[in-house]
Amino acid sequence: MRYFSQFGLGLLVATLLSGPQLALAQKEKKDEDFLVEKPAVGEMLPDVNVYNPDGKEFKTADLRGHYTVLTFGCLT
Amino acid sequence: MKFFFIYKTLAHPELVGNYVQPITLDERLGHAKQAQKQLGATIPWIVDAMDNRLKHALGDRPNSEFIIDPKGKVVRKRAWSFPAQVRKDLEALVGKVDRVTKDEDIKLALELPLKVPAERGVVPRLKRPRMQALVMEPQLEKKGQPFYAKLRAEADVGLLKTGEGKLYLGFHLDPFHNAHWNNLTTPLKYKLELPEGVKIEKATGEATKLKVTSDVAPREFLLDVGSWPADQPLTVTVTYAACVGDLACYTVTQSYVLRRKRDIDGGGARSEGGGLWDTEEFTRQSLAGDKDGDGKLSKSEVRGLILPHFERLDVDHDGYLEAAELKELVRWLNTHHVPGVPEQPKK
Repeated sequence: MRYFSQFGLGLLVATLLSGPQLALAQKEKKDEDFLVEKPAVGEMLPDVNVYNPDGKEFKTADLRGHYTVLTFGCLT
Repeated sequence: MKFFFIYKTLAHPELVGNYVQPITLDERLGHAKQAQKQLGATIPWIVDAMDNRLKHALGDRPNSEFIIDPKGKVVRKRAWSFPAQVRKDLEALVGKVDRVTKDEDIKLALELPLKVPAERGVVPRLKRPRMQALVMEPQLEKKGQPFYAKLRAEADVGLLKTGEGKLYLGFHLDPFHNAHWNNLTTPLKYKLELPEGVKIEKATGEATKLKVTSDVAPREFLLDVGSWPADQPLTVTVTYAACVGDLACYTVTQSYVLRRKRDIDGGGARSEGGGLWDTEEFTRQSLAGDKDGDGKLSKSEVRGLILPHFERLDVDHDGYLEAAELKELVRWLNTHHVPGVPEQPKK
């Protein structure tokens, strides 16, 4: 499936943080530092065990086989 | 092409829904399911383990974003999610799409957070600006009661650096357990076991007895610490009476081991106690996105929480958010912490 939304993802993710929070956090740790931290572009995604919301455990390596977009978020 | 959100530790406990950090995997799975419900979207969530291994492995950011190729290699990364750029990245990697997915296709939502079973604002909150979460280990018991109330422990800079300063102990009811304080019996009590060399003014404390029979306001204490060596963990034991919905009431005693060390996964509280948004500062920081320098924000200049509410916040419908309209957003953000249902921005 090569369908993806230009803004839909943003609308959802945008509920997870606010601009000022973002700015404050940026002071703590600069974004450019993040880019050179591991895993850098070109390196493998670390393989760790994670869960689906039903509690089923799987490895991040199981995500291979597709282009995959991963975005961190939470309820607050 | 696949999309996933990764559910991680809370970035801002107490914000929008008074959620608190989960302490068990089951509780975090509940958070992820609530996120699906509250935020909508058909995009599935992946839940990080309780030791936050994926967050740590990928740079410890609250809203970072990665694109992985089919072999598992990182081909794009950014510190903050930026969907418009993701789209450009994906077009560069796999080509243009035949049909652009609309917001409604992925069933986006912005539902209200969990309701609390009793009043929240009946106890004045303590101010705790610039305090940071401490590492703590809840002492879970196999057949023990759930931690209906969860400790939030924070230290000021002095305490973290030198062992002398302010220690915040806040016992917050977890909305996921639908619990409320039973005020008909003895109020919540805490007791600190102090190893040699630790000096804390109030090693024991009791919450104020309230007239209302029940409420969900946090029970908070701010302690003066004269000395706390970094290698000496404290044990905090708390006893409280809580009822779950209308069904049953319990008196529980639960403990935590507390370390004089900043918890990088603890998040930053933004509650009334943690500090409301300051109008001027919020406006100043938001206008930092004013790329064309016209003193107002167009939709293309907006990111973060403002974006999904842009049209509603643009009360004069001129296509821009001016300072006055941003101030209205601050009011809205701050009222999210008031008991009951959060107010919606003015239409």
